[in-house]
Amino acid sequence: MKRVVSPVVSILAVALVAAGCTAATAPTGTKPVSGGTLVYATGDAEPTCLDPHVGGNYPQALIASQYLESLVSKNTAGEIIPWLATKWSEAPDGLSWDFTLKKDVKFTDGTALTPETIAANVAHVQDPATTSSTGYLALQKVTGVTAPSADVARFTLSTPDSALLDSLSQPWLAIESATALKRSQAVNCESPVGTGPFIVTKWTRQQSVSLVRNDSYSSPPADATHSGPAYLKAIDWRFLPDSASRYAALQAGTVDVIDNVQPDTLVAAKGSADLVTLDAPRPGASNRIELNSSIAPFDDVRVREAFIRSANVNDAVTTLFFGTAKRSYSALSSVEKSGISEPSLFTYDQKAAAKLLDEAGWSTKNADGYRTKNGAVLELSFPVSTNQSIPAEQSLFEQLQATSKQAGFKVDLKPLDLSSWYGALGKNLYNLVSAPYTKVGPDVLRTLFDSAGTKPAPSGYFANHSQVKDPALDALLEKAATLSDAAERLSLYKKAQKIVLEGFYILPLYDQQNHYLHRSVVKGLRAMPTVSTPTMYDSWLSR
Amino acid sequence: MKRLLAWIGVTALIFLLIAALAPGLLAPADPLAINPTQSFRAPSFDHLFGTDESGRDIYTRVIHGTGASLLIGVSATAIGIGLALVFGLLAGLGPRWLDFGTTRFLEVLFAFPGLLLALLFIVVYGPGVITSTIAVGLATAPGYARIIRSRVLVVRRAPYLEAAAVLGRGWWFRLWRHLLPNVAGSLFVLVTLGIGQSIVWASSLSYLGLGAVPPAAEWGAMLSAGRTYLASFWWMTFFPGLFIMISAVASTLVGRGLQERNRDS
Repeated sequence: MKRVVSPVVSILAVALVAAGCTAATAPTGTKPVSGGTLVYATGDAEPTCLDPHVGGNYPQALIASQYLESLVSKNTAGEIIPWLATKWSEAPDGLSWDFTLKKDVKFTDGTALTPETIAANVAHVQDPATTSSTGYLALQKVTGVTAPSADVARFTLSTPDSALLDSLSQPWLAIESATALKRSQAVNCESPVGTGPFIVTKWTRQQSVSLVRNDSYSSPPADATHSGPAYLKAIDWRFLPDSASRYAALQAGTVDVIDNVQPDTLVAAKGSADLVTLDAPRPGASNRIELNSSIAPFDDVRVREAFIRSANVNDAVTTLFFGTAKRSYSALSSVEKSGISEPSLFTYDQKAAAKLLDEAGWSTKNADGYRTKNGAVLELSFPVSTNQSIPAEQSLFEQLQATSKQAGFKVDLKPLDLSSWYGALGKNLYNLVSAPYTKVGPDVLRTLFDSAGTKPAPSGYFANHSQVKDPALDALLEKAATLSDAAERLSLYKKAQKIVLEGFYILPLYDQQNHYLHRSVVKGLRAMPTVSTPTMYDSWLSR
Repeated sequence: MKRLLAWIGVTALIFLLIAALAPGLLAPADPLAINPTQSFRAPSFDHLFGTDESGRDIYTRVIHGTGASLLIGVSATAIGIGLALVFGLLAGLGPRWLDFGTTRFLEVLFAFPGLLLALLFIVVYGPGVITSTIAVGLATAPGYARIIRSRVLVVRRAPYLEAAAVLGRGWWFRLWRHLLPNVAGSLFVLVTLGIGQSIVWASSLSYLGLGAVPPAAEWGAMLSAGRTYLASFWWMTFFPGLFIMISAVASTLVGRGLQERNRDS
């Protein structure tokens, strides 16, 4: 036996050594290689404009993260870190901020990054003709930008803004070439010019956007793992709205990265060695259902509470998301450190719901089992954006419709395309709505719950869908937004969240789901800690 | 062989008819009842066709969806044939200029693909079962109208109509007693063939989210809901799809059978 075994062992040993040698030199190792085209398939809607100043939604942020850059970024610990600005300071009165710009940064059209560029960008976002909503709302306190020296941009404010750095880290306030911004909006939407690691070369509508490497790139954020140009030669950014086809394409290897991965697909992909998941919950608000408190029947807090008590969210989340989503009891995303969670306010309790409805005067039932009051049926209109709610979420709404029916609510689910959905919101023709809102930092509470948020931005969009108009809450949020003291701010934000949760204005569901799936040949892919969009700058392909 | 196929079609149609008129007989449960703890179950003795994402029994939903789908199919065909009859008779019996006008109008409608016409109608009047039924009816009308016109042109020159005219029968009498019954024979075949097509079209519209509204049990809508889970839970799409196919094939088989019989007699 021994004689037989030893040669086998030695052969094995030689083989192992050989394998070790090849592994060290093969391109499949850990040393990044340059070149190759990465194919990204997105399930988010195709943007109508590639300049995220215009409008300002998540699909734009996703792609803009590849070619535009912001003044500051965030690291995984949530701290603000340098990007296009190397340092910054707030004036003692809080009414101005100085940003020192990185030196020798050039836009891909050859123009230089100067304080005047920053001023032009702020003016562009604030110009009503740009129809910005996200960026516009974030810059409400900024009165202008001046240039005290050749490399310092000074933001002047009407009142102190503790959320300014958070706001400026977002892709919706990314810095574009001032020369390029002077072109017509249509042209700028087609080919925005930034300082980023990639350049938009071609946009084939309903199909894809082609991006190539910016060979003179020099301005990565402070947390990037390398410097100089990106590894990838090009990115093929495809629009593939059907989730099943997206996954099939990834499995087949025709695409390298997909987003908006469905829960069942995530579970299926776990078993595959070729696929890697990347979970990056979006910051800002949790995914929630907003209850429109401005019109009947939700102008009565008892009816709002009754609806929330009658909605069996937990069972629905468990079955529809296969453990990929965790139930939220907070107005804020779990990545926001200042979020508070109040599970006891959202327990499923049909008896409590029935009692509350009786008290609120909805004490009679019609033949179909729906509650009535003075002949009117307890009916709720629920426009659902089929672009913004994934199928699992739409099924969840159907399940909530069924459980709230037991309490006597007649929920009318109305699946709508994005523009009809905005239309229904604009006309105040909704009782329930679920609208994701992504923003860095707890100041998102002011966007979503300050009474000023019921007035539309230039794009026509308004963010306070619950239509909360509470002077005490407004005061808290305004105050918090001006304080620089972190502890004091935190206590105010906690108080504000308590008012929102105890007022039953929202039914929190889970974090804004943001799952990416990529082939294992894609290395170094990460989500930006700002708004969780993927960045391809450090990515490379080992094939 | 053809006979046999026609009878298979008839049997399937009778089954579908029972499912449509008295779904409770075949599936006593509530098609909308959710049961999250039982979601995504594969077909078994408890759930013949499995369950969907909300734990609803797919067999129950498919059976209860028959009524909606067949009703859309039948009413859409009725609307289509009804309109076509008006246009066909106008063109076939009216004066030359009317024939010319109607035919050109039909040709314009023909220029649009049927489904596009239906989509256009839904965009204007909003999604829903009623609008999608009317939309499908409108979209199919031009095709029928042409066939009816040619049939009318043949029949109006038939000797028995001339005889009736010579006998001094009134216009309405001739239309009602002689013309319509002779056009109806071919119409009946058209109807059975058309129902199958209309069901497929209505399902397509629901699949696109333009027909039945969730959580209604309707085949096209169920197909669409299951599509997301196609890779993991095939039964969510397979069974509604199977029923769409069965109903379309069955009505086509019956239609063909009737055609053959007409030809033989």
